[in-house]
Amino acid sequence: MEPKEIQTKLLALLTGVAPDIDPASIEPSKNLRDQFDFDSMDALHFATAVSEAFAIDIAEADYPRLASLEGAQRFVEERLAAR
Amino acid sequence: MQVEFHLPSLGADMESATLTEWLKNPGERVRHGEPLATVETTKGLIDIEAYDDAQVLEHLVQPGTKVPVGAPLARLEISGAPQAPSPSVPSQPPAAPAAPVAAATTAAPAPSPKTAHARISPAARRRAHELGMPLETFARSAAGGIIHVADVEKLAPPATSAQGDARAAMRASIGMAMARSKREIPHYYLSHAVDFGPARDWLIGHNAPLAVKDRLIEAVLITKAVALAAARIEGFNGYFRDGRFESSSAVHAGAAIAVRSGGLVAPALLDANQKDLPTLMRDFSALVMRVRAGHMRSGEFTAATITVTSLGADGVDVLFPIINPPQVAIVGAGAIREQPWVQGSQCVARPVLTLSLGADHRVTDGRLGARFLRAIAELLAHPELL
Repeated sequence: MEPKEIQTKLLALLTGVAPDIDPASIEPSKNLRDQFDFDSMDALHFATAVSEAFAIDIAEADYPRLASLEGAQRFVEERLAAR
Repeated sequence: MQVEFHLPSLGADMESATLTEWLKNPGERVRHGEPLATVETTKGLIDIEAYDDAQVLEHLVQPGTKVPVGAPLARLEISGAPQAPSPSVPSQPPAAPAAPVAAATTAAPAPSPKTAHARISPAARRRAHELGMPLETFARSAAGGIIHVADVEKLAPPATSAQGDARAAMRASIGMAMARSKREIPHYYLSHAVDFGPARDWLIGHNAPLAVKDRLIEAVLITKAVALAAARIEGFNGYFRDGRFESSSAVHAGAAIAVRSGGLVAPALLDANQKDLPTLMRDFSALVMRVRAGHMRSGEFTAATITVTSLGADGVDVLFPIINPPQVAIVGAGAIREQPWVQGSQCVARPVLTLSLGADHRVTDGRLGARFLRAIAELLAHPELL
């Protein structure tokens, strides 16, 4: 999967679990907790969506890697490359 | 028999709502607990659920109309005796129901239609509705004269952006509820530090083999522990109304959820003490999604019998929460942090959770409050019991 495609998909997943954020306002490098006040439930919703959409398993210890959109991108790329 | 269906009070801070959509038309049947209409409040869109199985006869209010709490919305034909609008949805025993009606009809500072008619022109009244201004505002300033549209606009608050309005309205309604709480409820506060290690270890072991969507979060364990303790120790679960405490047999745990555009809501996880952790987790997850989507249900708004508020990972150690009236207790959970902890004669680093309790002195004292907090701590020390 192309990086661009992953990026587009991640953005859609994020706005899916957080329909109350403005997609245009997302700063990909910024922590979602700082940026959008993400709580542990939001983080779990995002992890679930990423896990299901890309068919990858995400251990709890890996949750911090999904803290920002950019982090999530790197994580997904690594996981897909390792397959 | 025919009954009127009134706009219920969806919390101590609600005075009015705007009907946005009818979900059932005249002639259609609606079942107990099924959404009848959607209203817009300062907390977002809320589906108003029917109290009885009924047939809709007539809509009394059209979409776009702002109405005070307690205003008739529709006429319904029901079979048998009507259920009073209960704050505790489906499974609640019929002990509590009577009071909420009173709350819905008398608590609302609904302007007397007669006074309003006499002093305000119909066009001015319509404009006031559009601006979201209570008619009382003018009744006082009328001084015998008639209020016209121009007078309404003179008194209207300056227009701001729609989002700014929503934020201000949310702040105003939180302010109103919390001011009432601080004015009426003699709070006392207790806090207790807990070694969250056993709960965290249990949680890690429980979650490890599960798909992400089936995993539990700390807040669910804490909520379940609070609900179980509230069911065991009398005096923290229920409502203080009409000068006395009404204990509730059902435990509907309000979960304080921050709203991203500002403010917070605390809808209920119904029967939280009776649900197993995976079920409670699913309910909690769905509740948060409804809050995020800005579309909730009336039942979960009026049902909470106690509230739990967690600061989350980036919070601070302790919070001193304010009771959400007419409830009588609120349990706070600070951020869980590694802290020095004495175990035997050793000082070790443990994940420490500080629980706090804000409770109503009209109902309980610190001694019982301490037992309640200790019961929660005990349950968290034995997560397999949750």
